[in-house]
Amino acid sequence: MHAIERVLNTLDGKPVDRVPTFCAMVEDRTFNEILGKPPISQEWLMTNPIARFVLDKWGPQITKPIFQTELNRALIKRIRAQVELGFDSVWAIHDETFTVIDHTTMVRFSGSVFNIQPDGYGNMTYMYREPGIKSREDFEAWPYWPDADDLAHRTYTFFKKVVAEYGQKTCLFGQGPTYGIQESLLWALGFEKMPVWIRKEKDLVKRYIDMNEEVCLKTNMALLDAGVPVIIQTDDFAFKSGPIMNPKMIDELFGPPYKRIIKAVHDRRGKYVLHSCGDNTRLFDTFISWGVDGLHAYENTSNVDIFKEKKLHGEKVTIIGGVGVDYLLTDRSQEIEVEEEVKRLIAELGPGGRFIIAPVHSLSTIPAHKLRVMVDAVKRFGTYPISL
Amino acid sequence: MNESILAVRSAVEELNLDDICALVETCLKQGFDPEIIIQEGISTGLETVGRKFEEGEYFLADLIMAGEVVKEAMPLLKERMNPGDGKGKGKVILATVSGDIHEIGKNIVGMILSANGFDVIDLGVDVPARKIVETVKETGARLIGLSALLTTMVGSIRDVVESSRTAGLRDRVKIVIGGACTSRDLCHEMGADDYGETAIDALRIFNKYVASA
Repeated sequence: MHAIERVLNTLDGKPVDRVPTFCAMVEDRTFNEILGKPPISQEWLMTNPIARFVLDKWGPQITKPIFQTELNRALIKRIRAQVELGFDSVWAIHDETFTVIDHTTMVRFSGSVFNIQPDGYGNMTYMYREPGIKSREDFEAWPYWPDADDLAHRTYTFFKKVVAEYGQKTCLFGQGPTYGIQESLLWALGFEKMPVWIRKEKDLVKRYIDMNEEVCLKTNMALLDAGVPVIIQTDDFAFKSGPIMNPKMIDELFGPPYKRIIKAVHDRRGKYVLHSCGDNTRLFDTFISWGVDGLHAYENTSNVDIFKEKKLHGEKVTIIGGVGVDYLLTDRSQEIEVEEEVKRLIAELGPGGRFIIAPVHSLSTIPAHKLRVMVDAVKRFGTYPISL
Repeated sequence: MNESILAVRSAVEELNLDDICALVETCLKQGFDPEIIIQEGISTGLETVGRKFEEGEYFLADLIMAGEVVKEAMPLLKERMNPGDGKGKGKVILATVSGDIHEIGKNIVGMILSANGFDVIDLGVDVPARKIVETVKETGARLIGLSALLTTMVGSIRDVVESSRTAGLRDRVKIVIGGACTSRDLCHEMGADDYGETAIDALRIFNKYVASA
């Protein structure tokens, strides 16, 4: 069975020949191991005195012509690396959400500010710094919001190339230049202010959600038009110990836009997968009611019980994830431990189908060889009928 | 229990940001001592919020709201208190460890601790061990709360433990850890004193250390 058929059948709840694999992206360190390190380190390129001067002086002006062009190349390299690792499905993202402000700062169009910093392996990464919208005036004056149609057009162009090159080799889970509606709101306002604004600035929160919904809808359609079969959206609705806010409030605020987005994807015969970190135990019914086909990540470091979830919801939704990145896929583990955990996950979650095994997250500490061990173990032990 | 104090307590319990100031003003006009309003109205209300959080009725966003409600009320009460009034529970140094800039969890803990009478010294994010030890020396704080989200930065917890030992302060301070990548096992591995999974856990742990001091 071809990888694409294996994955799509699993998302549909149909029988397949083996448990499919999904790669939750690879970070720069990992794809450099697979594809070879660039001759000049990204860290040096971004931090040498000349680059600093240029970024500090013309950051916003060079974002699109230089920074975004390089980022798009890196994003395509990520996809290539995931395909070379042998995953049945891979996370392909077109991250055109940033504007570089200076050599330490980027803003995301949805209203948040990030640090640009080294990842410890010679590459550059980013980390959330603070909300960009601290007042109603900030919201009205926020200068980075994109034209959704232009963005959708560029998303289509990006994914058309990706589909032409990799669309027959692997099942592409595509994410456009959008992050989850709820987490975008959280980052834009900051966690201390978001609950207050939801109660006191209802009109503004509604406008923010509507603007995000429009971008999500248009870019998702662009992905599907380009030939991507599965849409994946990140939206971390929970922390380690449970949902960020009352599940009823989550459903009231974010349910209607997500239902419209997912319906639009289904109307074009696409599949929809939601990635939400943390313990979503009290939210899974809500997500399923929105119409998702699959859910990722069932983070092992949170309180979620993936095995219990398989029993509770395993017939209604495809469970994607299970492989920890806190220890198991790092340099610290033994290969045999990876193999044993893969076998355990397949034995417990494989029967009945609707399970795609995957790392729960991407992380710069994941070496390529651990991902290979994982994929090889699935190929050896994941054949249906499961006999472990 | 007086109805006005009960109304303040209910406002905290029900996360009523709109009415809290008016309700506190009413109590003050009726001649209630600010300390009584804090103890019987606000603190008792916060205990209910904490219980509801642990029982799964309230969520992290509700803890934040409760903190905001208290933040609205406290300036009104503080301006009516005489200098020296109020028995604080002591100083707690909070920091996100070196190499990590995630601060949401730390800020929630800070808000809950402040609302419950702790004097919170928030050193921010990406804080080197040296800075934490210096602050212990400068302030005499005996409680440290360390937050870490990134798996790659857990070694920074050990750095704080070791630095406090090198400075001869290890026996004087209690180091409590929390955050997405932390666990009870990690707490033992890094040589910290305690692990809190939630902000309410953190409050309970710090209260325990204050009570046993």
